[in-house]
Formats: sequence, C-alpha cells, structure tokens
Amino acid sequence: MGIEEKLPSGFLLTTVEGVAGYARKSSLWPATFGLACCAIEMMATGAGRFDLARFGMEVFRPSPRQADLMIVAGRVSQKMAPVLRQVYDQMPNPKWVISMGACASSGGMFNNYAVVQGVDHVVPVDIYLPGCPPRPEMLQDAIIKLHNEIQHMKMGANREAEVRELETAALAATPVTDMTGLLR
Amino acid sequence: MPELPPALSGFWVTFRTQFQKVNTEQYPEQKDKFPPKPRFHGRHQLNRWADGLEKCVGCELCAWACPADAIYVQGADNSEAQRFSPGERYGRVYQINYLRCIFCGLCIEACPTRALTMTHEYELADNGREKVIFEKQDLLAPLREGMVPPPHAMVAGMDSHDYYMGKVTGATEQQREEVQHEEAQREEARRQDQGAAQ
Amino acid sequence: MTATSNDKDTAQAAAEVEMVTGVIDGHEVTVPKGTVIIRAAELTGVDIPRFCAPPLLDPVAACRACLIEVEGMPKPQPSCAVELGDGMVVHTQLTSEVAAKAQAGVMEFLLINHPLDCPVCDKGGECPLQNQAMTTGNPETRYTLQKLTFPKPINISTEILLDRERCVMCQRCTRFADEIAGDPFIELVQRGAHQQIGIGEEPFDSYFSGNTIQICPVGALTSADYRFRARPFDLVSVPTTCEHCASGCSLRTDYRHDAVMRRQAWDDPEVNEEWNCDKGRFAFPYLSLDRLSGPLVREDGELRPASWPEALRLAADGLGRARGRAAVLTGGRLTMEDAYAYARFARTALATDNIDMRARAIGPDEAGFLASQVAGTCGPTYAQLAAAPAVLLVAFEPEEESPIVFLRLRKAVRQHGQQVVTVAPYPSHGSTKLSATLVPAVPGAEAHSLAALPADVRDLLQQPGSVILVGERAATAPGALRAAADLADQTGAHLGWIPRRAGERGAVDTGCLPGLLPGGRPLTDPAARREVASAWGVAADDLPTSAGLDLPAVVAAIAADVATRRSAAEQGDEAPANTIDALLVAGVEASDVPHSDALLRALQDVPFLVSLETRPSEVTDFADVVLPVSVVTEKEGTFVDWEGRRRPFARSFPLATTFPDAEVLALLADYLDLDAAPRDVPALRAEIDSLGAWGGERPWPGAAGATDTPNPGPGEAVLASWRLLLDRGIMQEGEPYLAGTRQPSVARVSAATAAGVGVPDGERLSVSTDHGTIALPVEITEMPDGIVWLPMNSPESRVTTTLRATPGDTVRLGRE
Repeated sequence: MGIEEKLPSGFLLTTVEGVAGYARKSSLWPATFGLACCAIEMMATGAGRFDLARFGMEVFRPSPRQADLMIVAGRVSQKMAPVLRQVYDQMPNPKWVISMGACASSGGMFNNYAVVQGVDHVVPVDIYLPGCPPRPEMLQDAIIKLHNEIQHMKMGANREAEVRELETAALAATPVTDMTGLLR
Repeated sequence: MPELPPALSGFWVTFRTQFQKVNTEQYPEQKDKFPPKPRFHGRHQLNRWADGLEKCVGCELCAWACPADAIYVQGADNSEAQRFSPGERYGRVYQINYLRCIFCGLCIEACPTRALTMTHEYELADNGREKVIFEKQDLLAPLREGMVPPPHAMVAGMDSHDYYMGKVTGATEQQREEVQHEEAQREEARRQDQGAAQ
Repeated sequence: MTATSNDKDTAQAAAEVEMVTGVIDGHEVTVPKGTVIIRAAELTGVDIPRFCAPPLLDPVAACRACLIEVEGMPKPQPSCAVELGDGMVVHTQLTSEVAAKAQAGVMEFLLINHPLDCPVCDKGGECPLQNQAMTTGNPETRYTLQKLTFPKPINISTEILLDRERCVMCQRCTRFADEIAGDPFIELVQRGAHQQIGIGEEPFDSYFSGNTIQICPVGALTSADYRFRARPFDLVSVPTTCEHCASGCSLRTDYRHDAVMRRQAWDDPEVNEEWNCDKGRFAFPYLSLDRLSGPLVREDGELRPASWPEALRLAADGLGRARGRAAVLTGGRLTMEDAYAYARFARTALATDNIDMRARAIGPDEAGFLASQVAGTCGPTYAQLAAAPAVLLVAFEPEEESPIVFLRLRKAVRQHGQQVVTVAPYPSHGSTKLSATLVPAVPGAEAHSLAALPADVRDLLQQPGSVILVGERAATAPGALRAAADLADQTGAHLGWIPRRAGERGAVDTGCLPGLLPGGRPLTDPAARREVASAWGVAADDLPTSAGLDLPAVVAAIAADVATRRSAAEQGDEAPANTIDALLVAGVEASDVPHSDALLRALQDVPFLVSLETRPSEVTDFADVVLPVSVVTEKEGTFVDWEGRRRPFARSFPLATTFPDAEVLALLADYLDLDAAPRDVPALRAEIDSLGAWGGERPWPGAAGATDTPNPGPGEAVLASWRLLLDRGIMQEGEPYLAGTRQPSVARVSAATAAGVGVPDGERLSVSTDHGTIALPVEITEMPDGIVWLPMNSPESRVTTTLRATPGDTVRLGRE
C-alpha cells in the first residue's frame, strides 16, 4: 500500500506494524453510507451523546476519496449495490467495511428479490453487526472490535504469510454445502 | 437577556455549553453506568429448570413465529439414557442467526415453556458470518446454584407436569450422583483412549 | 401408451344411477342416491367438522363431531352416516343453533382427556383436531379435573408409535386395518372412558401400517422414523412417484434443507386412491446413504477421484474403442427417459443391440412375450381390475410384489365379491386375505397348471371384463407366459404383466431389451428400423440388424472370450477379437441375478467397465470408470406403472448438482463426437412421444414349450421362492424401524415333506444346493408335497447368492 509495505520484516517491521496500526485505527474516517433506519442510529452515534470524536472519527466524509471506513447502515437494494461498490472502489487503501444491522449483513427480514442478501455479496466485510437497528453502543462496540483488528494488521512479508495461512485454512474448512441448519 | 448580534449568538451557545454537565456516555469505559432499559431486547437465552434440565422442548414455535426466519430448530427424542428436558422431546439443534434476527421478541411470546427469553447483552459484532450464528451451547443459560448439567434423569417421582407446576426446586442428590458417575465414566474412557493411543 | 378409462362404460353407468335432491342450508343439491349428507354438503361448499369420516372408509359415526339438524328428526344426526333423502331439509352448523351447539359440545367432550402437548406432538400444525377446536370448539374448557393419562408413547410395531392420551376414538386406524388392508392387528379394547386402541399379542406388522399414521386425525399414531424431526411448516412438499415398485403410487415428499424427512401417500383415485405401502412411505434413507460424490477412475488397480472431463474422456475412449462389441446392462430402476437414453446410446453410440434391463431371473420366452404383448401397449387398468368379476394371478403375489394392486383386488373382493384365483404353490397370507381359490402349481411348471385349469375357473375367466395378471416370475417357468397368453385369447380376459421394479415397464416400452426398439418395434423389421433411425437422425443401415445378447448371454460371452484368450495365449497364437470388449452398467445389483458369481466374474474379466451409479456397489468395485448419477429426488422423469400409465414426477430438490443418467450419456456422446442426443427430460419425452407405439406386426417367435414337472426324489424338493415386500433390498437400507416390521423368515413345506426329512414344526430346516445351505425355522403349510418355499432375499435367506438357485430348481432338504 505505502512505503511501510516495502520495509524488511523482523523486529523493525513488528514495531512499524504497531505504529502503523495505532495510527490507522486512531484516525478512521467513515464514509457516509446511511441507507435506512440504521443510519439514524449511526447519526446518533456520531452526535454528542455517544460522540465518535472520542475515537478520532467524528466527521463522516461525503467524499469517498477522503474516507477509509464504510459503515453500510441499512438494507442494500439491488439497485444500490453497484453504487455501493463504486463508492467502495473510490476509497483509497487501506479501507474497511462495517456491515451495520441485520439487513446489511444478511438481508434481515427482507428475504426477497429486491434486497441484496448481505452486503458481503458486493464488498468484503470486516465486521458484521447484528441488530435491527443496533443501538449506538453496539456500533461503538463494532468499531472498537474493528480498531482491534486494525491494530493487529500485518504488513509486507508478514501479511503475505498470513494470507497464505488464511487461504490454507479456508481450503480445509467445511464447505457450505456440507453445513446444516442456518449455516447452509 | 439583551439581543446579541447574530454573529455572536452562535458563539454564545458554544460558550454556555462549556458550563453544562457533559451528557456524553463514555461507552466502553463506563458501560455499567448506562444499562439498557428493563425491556431491552438483547441476545437470547435458553433457560433451564431448577435442576439443570433444559426448558426447551424443540417445538419450533419460535422458528415458526420468527418473521426473519432467523431460528433453526431440530427436535429429538429424550431417551432414558440421554435426557435433556422433562417430557418426550428436546431441542437437539438450536441455532439463532443474529444477522437475520431483528430482536422483535415474537419468539419469546411464542415459546410455550418460557425456555427462550432475552438478555441485556448486546455486544454481538464479529468478523465472520458463521461466528454470528449462535448454537445451542452459546445460548444456554449458565448453570446456577443447585443445577447439574444434563443429560440426567428427572427428579425421582416427578414427571414433566410437576416441572411445569414449579415443584422442582433444585437438583437432588440422586441426580448429582448420576451426573458425577457419568462424568467419571467419561473421564475413565478418555484415559483409556489416551492409553490406547500411546 | 397412456391408459384411459372406457368413457362409454362410465357414461352408461352414470345414466343408471338414481339421483336424489335435498336442501342443505337453503341450497338445493342433487346427488346420487346413497350419498351421505357430509359429502353432499361438501358439494355446496359447506364444511362440516369430522374426525371419523375419510371418504374411502365405511361410515361408522364414531366421533359425533359432524352432528347436524335434519327437519323431521327429533335429535341431531351424524351427517357422515345419514344418507341424503329426496326432499330432506338439512341445517348444518351455519344455519342451525342446535347443530352448532351439538358440535361444540362434542368438541368439548373430545378435548376433556386430550393432553395439551401440541408443541411436542408431531401432528401439531397439520392436525384436524387443532383446526376444528379453533373453528367449532369453545375457547375455554369447563373441565378442571385431572386428565386421563397413559404411559406414552408405546410401540405397536417398531415403526408405529401409539399415544393413547391423544386418541379421540374415531377408529379410522382400526377400520383401515380391517377394511382396507385386512390386517386387523389393532382393535378397540376396554370400555367407557378407558376405551383405547390396543394390539393383541402380535405387533402391528402390516405392510400398510403407515397409512394409519396419515389418516389419524390427531397425533395418536406417529412413526418412529419421523418422530420429532420436523414440523409441517418447515417442510417443503413436492408431489412425486414412488420408485419402489410398479404400482406407480403418487407420493408426497416432504423435505427440509435438502434432506427428505418423510413421504406420504398422495390422493390419486385412479391409481393408489389415498394409500401406499410402508416401503414407499418409509424406505427413503437410502437416497442419501453413502452417495458417490464425484467421478472415479481406476489407476494402478485403485479407484481414485477424478474430474468430470477426465472421467468422461476415459469412459468415452474405452467405449469408443469397443464400438460394436459393447453391452449395456441397465437394471430395472431407471426412469422411462433414462431407459430411453440408454436404448438410444447403445444402438447409436455403441452400435450394438446387446442391451438388457432385466437384472433378475429371466426365461427364454420372456423377451418375445414382452415385445409382442407388453411393449408400447396399454394393459388392463386399475379401474378394470376393480370392476373385473374374476382375476387370475399367475406367479404373482400382489401383496408382496405390487401392494396397491393387492389393495384394489381386496376392495373389489369386499365390494362386489370378485373371484380371485391364484396359480401358486400355496395360499399365501395375501391370497388368503383375498379369499383366493388356489390352483396348486409346482414352481417352474405353472404352464401345466394353466393348461389343466379346472373348468369352473375357465368359466369364471370367460365372464366379460375378467383379468389375468402375470408376474415377472412367470418368465422362469418354461411356457407359462405362452400358456397365459393363450388362456387370455381363449377366454377373452385382459392380460396384464406386473414386474416388481418401477422402471421395468418403462424400459420395455423404450426398448431396453435385445431385439426390441422403442415403442415395441421389432429390431428385425426393416420398417421399424427405418422409423427409429429417422427419429434418431442416423442412417437405417447404421442400426444393428440382428437381435443382441441378453444378460446371461453377455455373461457367457465374456467367459468364452476369456477362455479363447487363454487358449490362444497357450498356443502362442494371436488372440481373436472379443465378443464383448466393454460393459456399460447402470443400477445393477449383482445379487439380484440368479448366478451372481458368474456376473461378478464377467464384470471382473471384461476389458473395460463403465458404471453409472449412485453409491458404491459390487459393480463399481470392478469398474474402470465410475460416473455418479442422480437419485429420484434430484431428477425429473417418468415411471411407467404396470398398466402402461405414465407417472411423471418433477425434481424434488431444485438445487441438486448431480446429473441424471440421460445427461451423463449425452455428455459421453459429446465426447464420442456424435450428434447431440436430447439430454433434458422434456426433449426426451418429446422424442419418445413422436416415435409413439409400433403399429405393425409383433411376432412372438416360437419359444420353449413347457418342460416336464420336476420330480424330486426323497430328501429333495422343488424350490419355490419370491421376494417379500420388506426384505434386504438395497433401497430399504438405512431404515431400521421399517426393517423391524419385516416378516420373520421361515421355510414352508407340507406336513408330509417335513415328516419325510424328520423336521417337526418350528424346528430349523436346512435347504441346500451344491453351493450353499440356508437354515430356517420350518412352518408347516398346506401345500403340495415335495415343494419348499423360502423368502428370496430376506436377511437369513438369500436364495440367489447362497443357493444360487432359481425357483423350480431341485434342492436338498435336511435337518439342521
């Protein structure tokens, strides 16, 4: 992504990873992507009572070029999906996605032809947040969990090793067709 | 109060607010200061009878009531050797998909045995779809004082009606012994397996 | 090929029926005389609550839920038992306070002892009692005392569970068992409030016991297999056709998450009415049992998983090399479309007529019989069977081999005294229930019995509308098929052929026999060949011109090839070309064939073997390429029942990712660079329909006449045997509860025969040939001396593999 990716691995890199992670997580700039009722809770989270500014992320950016976190708040209709993908593509790397609420995460109760059954069909999702809609504390909880992930993100050679490891694990995992119940 | 020029009235609001009590909830740090309201709909819980047997009978009425189709249940037959609930039937598979669940509480209203209730827990976010599907072991209420983990027999001399009438107040000595005996047998089997493996 | 009822007869019958006109809730309704009020009310759209009155059982008025008011009658009357009279004025609960109050009162009584365990009950969600308690019951009960309780549930057979608390004493189950199935193993016992359903000493091991679960209007009868597995609202129901026998039952498959949860009988008045047998109802776990998940190819003697393109390439290469020297064995379990695809593939892609669908004991004159009398024709129908004054059964046990035929015969026997005559070694349980007259026959010598049929039986068959039913076992008796056909000609009776497997009739119609092209066209007839060739888009000269080999001949040819190769190798000569270079085998279980050891050796010896299978079998063990195919729930298709009636069914699982046989064959044809054969079912059906049935001559070339009756010496007997409905068939695997209702395996001999070898009743009799011995408890049965009967394929009695004998062979008896 940047110069930090080019650094050699080892002791130096772990420290760089820590510093970069700390910097990244402390200045997440969310893109506005309020789609339905969840957006009301997302706005509340940004406002004074819950105050996302405490995490350095109070300004929701209307311009994707200046954002690195997309909070998909609400059900994504089939027509909105390409727009959402476009906005995601316009965001610079590194970038993250929180799928806020049941509808964004899985379609929720709108199991029909008009609604995308989970925004992860369109963009990769880092954190899934249940709730209909989730209360602001739940969104904050999701953001803190995302912070935790960002803090521990690997870089460079470490990242490549991690990707290989994840790939191997995914290949060995139970295929969805063999899962039962709701996992199917 | 004298009328301030419009340019200054905005600054006046800001200035005045400095002396008001802060209403920001310091969420992760001071979480307990702002508990949810009593009727808040949080994560579900599968309750137990006083002796530790499960209340769920696997009837799937919660799944039927669910408008989002978030619940999956499979019942099974309680046998004399493996009893999880009083009566004939228990819920062998119980899954709630929190990515579908809209926390409406219709499942709670549908439950004929008060097996399913909702807690105040709300920190459910996770980083994978399958991690937000809660299985039976994630949903079951913790064992309280006087409970022993199923499978075990009903309290001697009682039947499922007595459980519903509230006549069971805790696990009996007999049930404790049964569970301890089973546990010891499992431990023994494990040790033998390990011995065989070595 | 489709069976149609005789319209003229029906119209005539309708004209003769006397009609009556009554008034129900102010609406005039005209119905045939004898119609009960509850059915007449249905015609006006009035639904009267009922528990004890399914249409196919006799009225009994046991539950009293259907009380209505009839003007001029002092008390409310049960509408399920009172016939509508001319001018009768009826008020149902909709217009009569009295009727509504009476119904609500009865409902309150019924609910007094009914437990409130609907959440736990398997019937909950589809329960007439639940529904009618909502529509006609009082919301509040006035009964506050302790309800009557019974221990629950109790097993009345391994499969059927009885919960007496829930029973409302409608007696549907006992009446079904008594009136329809004729197995009165369950009865009402005790009196008053303690009245309950009970069984005697015997468990409720009826072949039709599952129907009682379906007709039970409460959750009193449930099945061990479906117990607590699902609820009605999470099941997806799809209509389907039973794949277990040639009766062609319409079924409903209920599935959840791509697993079949249960099967129920679907209402089809022309075929199975509302019933089916326990095999069709419960034997479905095999569908998902150890399925083949992908193609396998043999490498260094071991089968290993392979991709579809690799496996298809290998199979196509091997089969292509053997073009003209290949053989196809298709078993009898394929759908009509799949069978047609095999018939077409063999004749076009493999350029051979060596195709046989019969994986069972066959006889020399069977192919001719099937070609001339069965293929592409319409046999007698169920309706004709029900109306027939007399029915002759030849080597056919309806209860064991085609249970719905048995139910139809039994209905006719009960309703209009149909005369059933059976040519069999002894009166079986099923023929006893049909009050059948026995014409004793030594197995293998049925032709003699038919020739010497008593004059009164002949007279019976000469009545118009009589029917002769020939079972597939008749093929093994020399001359029996010819004798039955002659008898039909002489007496004017309809002749029907009833195979055991669901796919055999369809395979006959589509030409899966040597010398027989689709629609009953003889291969040797140039006109027939031209018709088929033009439909298939090949030159008529490209089709084989002489009849090919059947299954035993293929097996023999492979053995001869091996011998030739060996002698050539010994002499140092160059080996001549094989007769059979490749085998394409689908759905054949080796142990179904009488000389299974020879078949297995052939499978091992044949240079190239392709197996299309759903699960690992003895055939796949020897195969060079194994291609997995769909089971019935994963494909659409048609089974042709014994009447010749098409029973199409749709895919149950729409998302299944397996290929049906026809599609795999089309893929193979692609790899062989042949013109595309139709691969989807609608296209196959269209091609079969456009071909239609053959209108020309259907020769039945001279066949083996009757042989002499075998004359067993002392300590010997002639073997009689047939498959029981519930045995160790591979399509019943994975269902232990159903297996528990199997009949115990016994050997049957006459008292004199038993005395001859010194085995008293109940002791174990050993039956042996040079290959093996079967020892079973003996049951002394009234039957001709010198005959021993064994179940063909039961757990302790596997005649084909242990004795390697066919019925009619002579076996040795002894004491174990």
